[in-house]
Amino acid sequence: MSEIGKVRLRLPASIKPGDVVRVRCLVIHPMERIERDNQGKIIDKKYNYIDKVTVTYRGKTVATFDTTQSVSENPFFAFSVKATEPGKLTVTFHDTHGDTYEGSADIAFS
Amino acid sequence: MATRWFAALVLAAGCATAADRSEVPRWTSRAIPEARGDVHTADGRRIAVRYPGWTTQDFGRFRTYAYDDARPAPAVQRATPPPDLVGDASRGRALFLDRAKGPCTGCHLAPGDDVWPAGSVGPDLSTIGDRKLTEAYLYQQLWDPRVTFPSTIMPPWGAQRVLTPQQIVDLVAYLQTLRGPAPPEKDPDRNPFTRRKPVGFGDNLDPTNNPAVVRAEDAETLWNARGPAGKSCADCHSGGGRKALRGVAPHYPRYVPAYRRVMSIEDFLAVHAPETTGRELPVESADNVDLGMLIKMSSDGLPVAVDTTSAPARAAIARGQATFYKRVGERNHACADCHTPERGAGKFLGGRLLGDVTTGLTRHFPTWRTDRAEPWDMRKRFQWCMTPLGMNMLPADSIEYAELELYLTQFDNGKPMNVPGIRH
Repeated sequence: MSEIGKVRLRLPASIKPGDVVRVRCLVIHPMERIERDNQGKIIDKKYNYIDKVTVTYRGKTVATFDTTQSVSENPFFAFSVKATEPGKLTVTFHDTHGDTYEGSADIAFS
Repeated sequence: MATRWFAALVLAAGCATAADRSEVPRWTSRAIPEARGDVHTADGRRIAVRYPGWTTQDFGRFRTYAYDDARPAPAVQRATPPPDLVGDASRGRALFLDRAKGPCTGCHLAPGDDVWPAGSVGPDLSTIGDRKLTEAYLYQQLWDPRVTFPSTIMPPWGAQRVLTPQQIVDLVAYLQTLRGPAPPEKDPDRNPFTRRKPVGFGDNLDPTNNPAVVRAEDAETLWNARGPAGKSCADCHSGGGRKALRGVAPHYPRYVPAYRRVMSIEDFLAVHAPETTGRELPVESADNVDLGMLIKMSSDGLPVAVDTTSAPARAAIARGQATFYKRVGERNHACADCHTPERGAGKFLGGRLLGDVTTGLTRHFPTWRTDRAEPWDMRKRFQWCMTPLGMNMLPADSIEYAELELYLTQFDNGKPMNVPGIRH
């Protein structure tokens, strides 16, 4: 059984300086949905879902995303980054229970 | 004449299974409780134990694939509409569209933008009223169409007591109102005969696309973890979870002499892991499915090569084939009704495109189910089919399912393994 917070990050196999690269990432997360009781009333509790995603490249934050409960379980994100210099790309997921999950990949030129 | 021919066929099939079955041992299920097909009684009602969210309805009065279930196919029944019943076309239409009660639209197209998604397994009924069929004929077709068409796929809705005489009279009244010409189609996807075929979900081996890959890779922890007996998989199988057993999975399911039965990787794990590592790995537990995926993934790209020539394999495949063609359950359906090209394969059942057994349906299992957010092995997929059939499911690791899986897998022989798949 996979643990919450496993992150998989994928970059193109070969990157040249100045390329705009497509980054694909997936995080294992339940993204809890609103639950209702027998009367149809929404159960009041602190639902656990990812509400913020930050992307850093060479230590600098290059993008943040605010996400909502309506994003699916095990969410998938894709975005583009201009690869100017070799360095580490990190994607961090923050959920409403205060946990953070991180995945990173090295941008290297071939 | 037709009846005599049919009776002879049933007799022949009955003898064949009776003779072959003597080789099949008794098997005590090593599956998780939800996967064993147990039925218990509470407040005088029989309740089936199934996976969370699945129906708990007991279909015990209908026959199943179990080799010791010798009940014959339901007898063909003649019926005439009771003279005191008057059909109501609007009630009939509501029932026609009610997917929970009489899922007519699963197989038949009817006019109306709210008819969605209709299937194409049965004839298009958009203009059936023009054919001037009698009420008595249509009533019989719905009650038990085998009177006219002995090998039809259509369930005997009345004979199996799924629909009441009043409901059938209502449906007949609705069908008689369906007159041509059919209105022009606004959306080609409404009509299953012109609908686009689904294109799938992209690269199933890309972990950012298929969460099952992440699950399988994580099973490497399990591969290296010592069980209560002090041993791990890695202690005996060297090379790491992703490589050690490369080339093993393409030969499964296979006949395992030690247990005198056909076993898939998942069946084998459930007996082999406790014997060697002391770890319980029941069939359909997440650990069993994940570890099975890891082992199968290590053979990705290798051609499937199950044994079809040894005597036990031939006998098992013959039994598996008999299961594939056996009509079971409330709906009196066989696997073959939906999955052979001469019947339903390649057509739409509701919105679902039915797979064709001859192209091989097993080499991507276990497969990620996008609507369930979990990987399913072949057995859970079989068990899922049981509910629409109206049949009590067998234990996930039953010999019946194993031999059915072997029968299906021989169609994959020579084709590359591609685990885990991703499907709706």
